[in-house]
Amino acid sequence: MAIHILGIRHHGVGSAKNVADRLALIKPDIILVEGPPEISEMLLAIGHANLVPPAAIMCYNTDNPKESVFYPFAEYSPEWVAAQYANKHGIPVKAIDLPVSISLAQKREAEEANPEEAPVSKDPLGYLADIAGFGSGEEWWEYHFEQQKENTAEHFEAVMHVMESLRAEGVESSLDKENVPREAYMRTLIRQCQNEIYTNIAVICGAWHAPALLNLDGTAKSDAKILKVLPKSKVKVTATWIPWTNSRLSMSSGYGAGIYSPGWYEHQWHAKDDAEITWLTKVATALRDKQIDISTAHVIEAFVLSRSLSSLRNKYYVSLEELNEATLSVMCMGDGILLELIKKELIIGSKLGRVPEELPKVPLQEDFEQNLKSLRLKLTAEQKQYDLDLRKEIDLGRSILFFRLEVLGIPWARRTVSRSKGTFKESWFTEWSPDMMIELIDKAFLGNTIESASQSVILGRCAQTQSIAEVSELIQKCIPAELFEGIDALLDRIVELSTVSSDIIDLMNALPALIEVSRYGNVRKSDLSILETIVKQLLVKVYIGLNNACYGLDEDNSTSMFSLITKLNNAIRLYDDTEYLQQWHETLHKMVDNTGVHPIILGCVCRLLLDSQQMDEQEVDKRIAFALSVSNDPYQVASWLEGFLKGNGMILIYDNRLWNLIYSWVSSLSKEIFMELLPLLRRTFSKFEFGERRQIGEKAKKGLATERHSTATAAQNFNEERAALILPIIKELAGFNS
Amino acid sequence: MNALREHAEQQFQEELFELAKQDSGSKPTNWNLSPASVVKYLMGGKLSNGFEITPKYIGNQRLMEIAVATLTTDRALLLYGIPGTAKSWVSEHLAAAITGDSTLLIQGTAGTSEESIRYGWNYARLLAEGPSAEAMVSTPVMNAMQNGKIVRIEELTRISADVQDTLITILSEKTMPVPELNMEVQAVKGFNVIATANNRDKGVNELSSALKRRFNTVILPVPATQEEEVKIVQTRVESSLKTLELPASMPTLQDIQRIVRIFRELRNGVTEDGRTKIKSPSSTVSTAEAISVVNNGLALAAHFGNGKLNAHDLASGLIGAIVKDPVQDAIVWKEYLENIVKTREEWRDIYRACKELN
Repeated sequence: MAIHILGIRHHGVGSAKNVADRLALIKPDIILVEGPPEISEMLLAIGHANLVPPAAIMCYNTDNPKESVFYPFAEYSPEWVAAQYANKHGIPVKAIDLPVSISLAQKREAEEANPEEAPVSKDPLGYLADIAGFGSGEEWWEYHFEQQKENTAEHFEAVMHVMESLRAEGVESSLDKENVPREAYMRTLIRQCQNEIYTNIAVICGAWHAPALLNLDGTAKSDAKILKVLPKSKVKVTATWIPWTNSRLSMSSGYGAGIYSPGWYEHQWHAKDDAEITWLTKVATALRDKQIDISTAHVIEAFVLSRSLSSLRNKYYVSLEELNEATLSVMCMGDGILLELIKKELIIGSKLGRVPEELPKVPLQEDFEQNLKSLRLKLTAEQKQYDLDLRKEIDLGRSILFFRLEVLGIPWARRTVSRSKGTFKESWFTEWSPDMMIELIDKAFLGNTIESASQSVILGRCAQTQSIAEVSELIQKCIPAELFEGIDALLDRIVELSTVSSDIIDLMNALPALIEVSRYGNVRKSDLSILETIVKQLLVKVYIGLNNACYGLDEDNSTSMFSLITKLNNAIRLYDDTEYLQQWHETLHKMVDNTGVHPIILGCVCRLLLDSQQMDEQEVDKRIAFALSVSNDPYQVASWLEGFLKGNGMILIYDNRLWNLIYSWVSSLSKEIFMELLPLLRRTFSKFEFGERRQIGEKAKKGLATERHSTATAAQNFNEERAALILPIIKELAGFNS
Repeated sequence: MNALREHAEQQFQEELFELAKQDSGSKPTNWNLSPASVVKYLMGGKLSNGFEITPKYIGNQRLMEIAVATLTTDRALLLYGIPGTAKSWVSEHLAAAITGDSTLLIQGTAGTSEESIRYGWNYARLLAEGPSAEAMVSTPVMNAMQNGKIVRIEELTRISADVQDTLITILSEKTMPVPELNMEVQAVKGFNVIATANNRDKGVNELSSALKRRFNTVILPVPATQEEEVKIVQTRVESSLKTLELPASMPTLQDIQRIVRIFRELRNGVTEDGRTKIKSPSSTVSTAEAISVVNNGLALAAHFGNGKLNAHDLASGLIGAIVKDPVQDAIVWKEYLENIVKTREEWRDIYRACKELN
């Protein structure tokens, strides 16, 4: 009967190598690793050809995937190595830590009892590091236990000895409170194994736990007592493999394993004795790919420097630190930016894990793949374009899926401007990257299907937001994604918000979208009639408040107000309700004479009234002259004109009516006044495109335009199909952005 | 001793002696100290017998380790950085600590000729006796090679490119051929080159890639934190008070903190709390400038004041250091004065003093 306890550092390359050697030597008949028993079954998959690390086991509450724990593994994780050995030699491998169901319950209890963070106490190895003059416990361990491996038995004995002495000195670990039941549980399971047929047991656990697992016989009773008080939990836990990335391994918080340099570890794991030189050649190759000339001599010099650095620091091995510093000094001319490139590419690395098809999956992922299958979509890294005809059922389904993923924040499909006309056509670009699957799995807690997950995204944002504009944007997103439950909640929310909101700008931002939805909305299942009422209520609010909202704004705010008014004007004209249009014009009329409003808004209002024939030309002429009189502040004059022309010089070229108004104003000026105004006009006109200015100049040569309306269209030989091609551009120019 | 400024190896003779006494590490051939002790000399610290080594370089120890490790290899060291980041200072102390001799120095200028790097001739002798070893005029580089010492080349990038390249053979083959005498000077172990160059000036001669390859580069950054910079200014001002024998008292910590803060804010283009954006002047407002502002102020205080540094003493130096371009920098400085200095209650005195000078 023998129990071998191998204390390791999780994800330590040296530990993993030692474990592999030790296992080959002691030939155990069962291997126990630190980790919840729920993952035992998953560990059997290690060694499967299609399970490629980095990968993680995700344990989640079957009824509420939001509660989940991740156990990431790299190929150099000692646990991974041990499980690989076990599966290869056909011996059982079991995880013996506290079950996830219990630790989840513990976590919940702790959160209820004391939501504050526990005080962080020192890493136990930190004490040794201090004595020995190392920067951190991590470094101390690296120096002593991750490098040499002549005699693995002695190595693990030494680890055990160190930890034993630390614990005997009463050094506390920050996790002590959790460790007591965990270690009791581990001991209990080891005893169970002893009682079964196993006689040669290998236990792989974090070094700190190692001494606690030695005394098995004396602790049976006290362990039972400790375990008795643990919270009872009926949570059903499901475990599954999910692919992982190196960058996730390097995250120190959240789901990460806290490895800062997975790429370097990986390199060490694969390298034989010449890890440093092969690493530097890798670095050189990476830099050469970036068009930086690195010769073999550079590699040699960098290696020499890194070795003398490490001997200066009294280290008997070269670590990544020295290699980086040598690279910086020899290859990068001291320039840290180049080193950053290497960091991303090599030190962290871009490796992505893979998981076999037949393993159970997170429900959300399963639903996603189901969706892909039924919609005949493929995940490819190349860009692919889909031109969807929404009259076909499969295309409609695809469009709905794309929109839902957009809501979920998975940027797989991006919408592009459709080439063909008609509202039933949509074009999408898809470009898959494996990262997206991890992002999707990350969102598993949101729901078990794509539909319900995106629904809960909408509901979450809906509950949080205070802005009507955001709600209306969400409604716009929900409709093509057919998230009807979401729409209902959003409509409720908008009613709620609109009664209390007095933020005119917010309302004005929201209205164009709402009007569009209420007019064009796909009213299949949701009752959007309530939206009509809301739009009307909001419009009235804007009409009442607009005048005050424009009062006393500074330049920036006025400019954004100017564009808001323009947008709202377009939307109201689209809304096509005479009564509300009439009221809108009245509102604008009231504003024209308001003196406290920024001239850019006044100019814009004037123009809007002219366009909708609510103000006759004589009146406008008078106003132009008034607003542009010499006695006005030059800057205001320029702003007014900018507002009046809506910041677009094109209109002067094509609208003869406007042209004549401005032209006759200019020609009415005396020479002196014209000279004085010239700089101001320049200011306005300088914002126009060069071509526009040239055309305006040429037009000015001809004087007053005689043609009042130039709307004659050549009706013959009209090619509708070709003409339709320019519609999207025109739409964009006219400001009807979809 | 009547020299205006002592060489590092003289000024810190005692420290070097104590370091050598207790140095147990292995020394490269012809080095006075082991590499670890050289780093200790630069960074400061306590020796095992309680002797205190003053820090010469305040900043990242790793940079000094790279520099020293480089000198143990056969590559030369290039210290790079904007003006006033202690490049020459570090090179002087490195040479002093390693070989006890920081005087083998070539000041690089546009007029530095090949003769001043390799060797020249005593023409009278050359004419009288013909080419002979006695007629040769040696240079610091040649001396260093013959004696296994370190030669320093200041402002390497100011030297014209063709002259720079005479260093290539010296650095790669460690030998200097003398074709006139059909002989060569081979470098003795311990020989190396420390060059400094500044990456701010325009119109300098970029190193050829062949030469670049023979240098390991260490970029000396501007001090990372306010505390570090205050400490640098403090130590340097203290030592110059001593050497200049100024009858002035050491400025208060608050005064130094204030000057450093002004410099840092103008350099980084943002106030220390990160809330207000500031324009940066065209000149480099380095730590060295901050030191000279304080030194200047102290001189004023010592000779024309009561020996205590006050705002007026600082103001004149301050403006001189920051306003290098009379048009652009003046605007920058004025904006800073009005928007930042004025609003700080406890900075009233300096605001008034600067205002009077404007």
